[in-house]
Amino acid sequence: MSLPVDSGTFTGEVRRTVLDNGLTVLTRELHASPVVSAMIWYRVGSRNEEFGQTGKSHFLEHMLFKGTDRFKKGEIDLLTLKNGGGNNAFTSHDFTAYYFNFASDRWDVALDIESDRMVNCVFAPEEFEAEKKVVLEELRMGLDSPWGLLLQEVDAMAYQVHPYRNPVIGWQQDVERATAEEQQEYYRKHYHPGNATVVLSGDFDTDQVLEKVAHKFSSLPSRPQSAPVTAVEPEQRGEKRIRVQWRSKVPRLAIAYHAPEIAHKDSYALQVLNLILTEGKTSRLYQRLVEREQSVTFITADYGESKDPTLFHFRAEARGGHTAEEIEASLYQEMKSIVSEGVTQRELNRAKHLVEAHFVLSRERAQDQAMLFGQIETLYGTGYIDTYLERVSATTSEDVMSVCSRYFTEKNRTVGYLVSDGSAATEEDSDEVADEDV
Amino acid sequence: MKTFDDRIGRSFDVHSRQLSNGLQVLLVENSAVPAVSINASVLAGARHEREEKAGLAIMASRLLDEGTETRSSLDIAEAIESAGGHLEADGSFERIVVASTVLKQDLDLALELVADLLIHPVFPEEYIAKEKTRTLAEIASAKDRPQVIAGWALNELIYERHPLHRPSHGYPETVERITREDLKDFHKQFFTPGNTILSIVGDFSVADVLPLVEKRFGGWPSRPVTLPAVAAPVRQTERRQQYIPMPAQQVNIYLGHLGVERANPDFYILQVLDTILGGGAGFTARIPQRLRDEMGLAYTTFASITMSAGLDPGKFVAYIGTSPDNMKLAIEGLLNEIRRIIDEPVTPDELKDAQDFLTGSFVFAFESNSQIARFLTHAHVYGLGFDFIEKYPRLIRAVTADDIARVAHKYLDSENYTLTVVGPVDEDGTVEGTSR
Repeated sequence: MSLPVDSGTFTGEVRRTVLDNGLTVLTRELHASPVVSAMIWYRVGSRNEEFGQTGKSHFLEHMLFKGTDRFKKGEIDLLTLKNGGGNNAFTSHDFTAYYFNFASDRWDVALDIESDRMVNCVFAPEEFEAEKKVVLEELRMGLDSPWGLLLQEVDAMAYQVHPYRNPVIGWQQDVERATAEEQQEYYRKHYHPGNATVVLSGDFDTDQVLEKVAHKFSSLPSRPQSAPVTAVEPEQRGEKRIRVQWRSKVPRLAIAYHAPEIAHKDSYALQVLNLILTEGKTSRLYQRLVEREQSVTFITADYGESKDPTLFHFRAEARGGHTAEEIEASLYQEMKSIVSEGVTQRELNRAKHLVEAHFVLSRERAQDQAMLFGQIETLYGTGYIDTYLERVSATTSEDVMSVCSRYFTEKNRTVGYLVSDGSAATEEDSDEVADEDV
Repeated sequence: MKTFDDRIGRSFDVHSRQLSNGLQVLLVENSAVPAVSINASVLAGARHEREEKAGLAIMASRLLDEGTETRSSLDIAEAIESAGGHLEADGSFERIVVASTVLKQDLDLALELVADLLIHPVFPEEYIAKEKTRTLAEIASAKDRPQVIAGWALNELIYERHPLHRPSHGYPETVERITREDLKDFHKQFFTPGNTILSIVGDFSVADVLPLVEKRFGGWPSRPVTLPAVAAPVRQTERRQQYIPMPAQQVNIYLGHLGVERANPDFYILQVLDTILGGGAGFTARIPQRLRDEMGLAYTTFASITMSAGLDPGKFVAYIGTSPDNMKLAIEGLLNEIRRIIDEPVTPDELKDAQDFLTGSFVFAFESNSQIARFLTHAHVYGLGFDFIEKYPRLIRAVTADDIARVAHKYLDSENYTLTVVGPVDEDGTVEGTSR
């Protein structure tokens, strides 16, 4: 099959520069809109956290807005406001990333802020304690979400050894006892030029911009890389099941299979399989569970790129008196039919077109480009993107059958049901409804 | 030298055409990426449906892609997905939107499908039944989310008999009542070329795309449309409140009252007010700064009066999700900030920062083709003019502290408001395990 878009063009316009102190810089000019997205990605996330210290990476992300000697508490947001921009940050198992979006005539302030807070963040005890309350509210908010709770429990059960078992926000008891000193030590260990990538995308001149970056960042001292994460998750020996009790009567189901890390040879066929099973209304599980059996309000799968071997999650929500057991059985039957009969060329072509269109559309917004390149560089290297379409296109029905039979097995899965704890309102109370559009 | 605002305030070259059947077509060429976005908006929605059939407009919109006279549901999905494109039909109180994004070579396919969905839907009985059970299940699922329940209760109390009191997808009993005849009648009554705006943005030339539009939409017969009048909602003159018990970690609190229409001449002043009180960048606005950053009460807290402004008056809302023990402190904290912005003038710095923010961040609303297509429809519906992008900075820059004091006094109310709370509380507002 020929693709109208050459995957090489995706990173062909990206320049990768490494400063003497080890800082990686990716620049991507994009002149469609007068905006610049400026990101910094640190190779630290919850996978780097030790026993009893979970949630540190995420808490640290909050503290990076709480002041340096130069930018006092609140000043980063104020500068963002004054310059008409947006900012935020996010933490995952593998990385912590910060972004600013500004109009292209005023975005340099992002470089000032990022170069300063990479090393000069102060951990005032009173700020730390105040922010702890905010983080704990965020944690409670997550526990009030059915999927937040169910996935937390399933992941914790699926892994025995690897730190991916811990929620990114941390376990409540760890967050409650966290101290500013420990937090600062963790910051010194992981926030330095050699552990970071600056990603700039948008309406600028690359040569000028690289000079600015060098000016702001090259004086920051390089530091040794911290010890790599060595934990390796052993093979799962049998199915694990958990029934998580919660207030709702709506049955919800999550199934997690151990699956390989980014750029593993099997990862491409698994991504294609994901699209064939759950993407769009023609997908197999939509057709089966939503259309024919009408047993779910939705079925979705998540298999994202990750540094270490990860989980391939399915999630579904039951409807109309159907049970989680029925949904689970149907899901296994569909996989069984793929293992025995394979998938059609039509399904493979559709998956490839979806990937291709996704890549093209990611070029519309500067921030989408910065997100894509920043994440892939942090996890693996942008070369992954260059070969991605090619590998997806080369995927055959046999490849899909093979990964389906090897990964989606009984002993490789952890199954979680969200079941009523008996506190849910009775059906008679359930006719009071209004708009969620507030 | 060009100023910041000039640099950002570039207008699009909008080609506006009306087909002979009355269809309004708005086109913008944008070759930034080899793709095209289409936004077709029928100017009728849940605000036009009858109370006893609440949910009709949304259900009609969601059934558009479940079968036409010549295509089955699966045919439609196959056609768009095999091209790697997106096609979705959805509704709101004001509009029913069929939107599509495709690679440039698939523009005609997308136009053909969008036209088919709008002109020839058949609302198959089989899919009506499916859609009903699905909607009922989604309502049941949404009820697990305390913030949603609090928002629903707020609308019921603020809007009373106005259509916006109800959820746009209706109630279980009204959804059950909807028939195929109702859906067909709704389609016949409101889906006409004269009541539809077709915005197309992307990598094409106007000369090439106009004949395609004519080919796909030119045969759509015109019919006169009469939109039912919607009586204005009445602003409350007393305090209203509802506590809804739910076992949860947090209490979700909404505090608000009736707001303003999009066409209100004070809209831009209120946008500046929103930025100072409860929006803006990061946690710079007064409510998040005080309640989150200083008091540590919440992860999420905000306030806005302009966000929900539309053809009908929106609502002013202040929201916070917090631990049950903090409930009183949080409500008082929200009220204090509302009182303060009514009673005290904003500072010159607050005003300037908010203006800089709004004029500077405006550009982010126009990055993608689908955003621009939505803007074209929006600008047409609300009569903003396609030079709105140039006018907007001036409208925001003209706002003074006195203006803000005037509109705060006029539109915000720290006495006659509605309060809804969902979480571990009793119906009388007592937090579990504590005294009132």
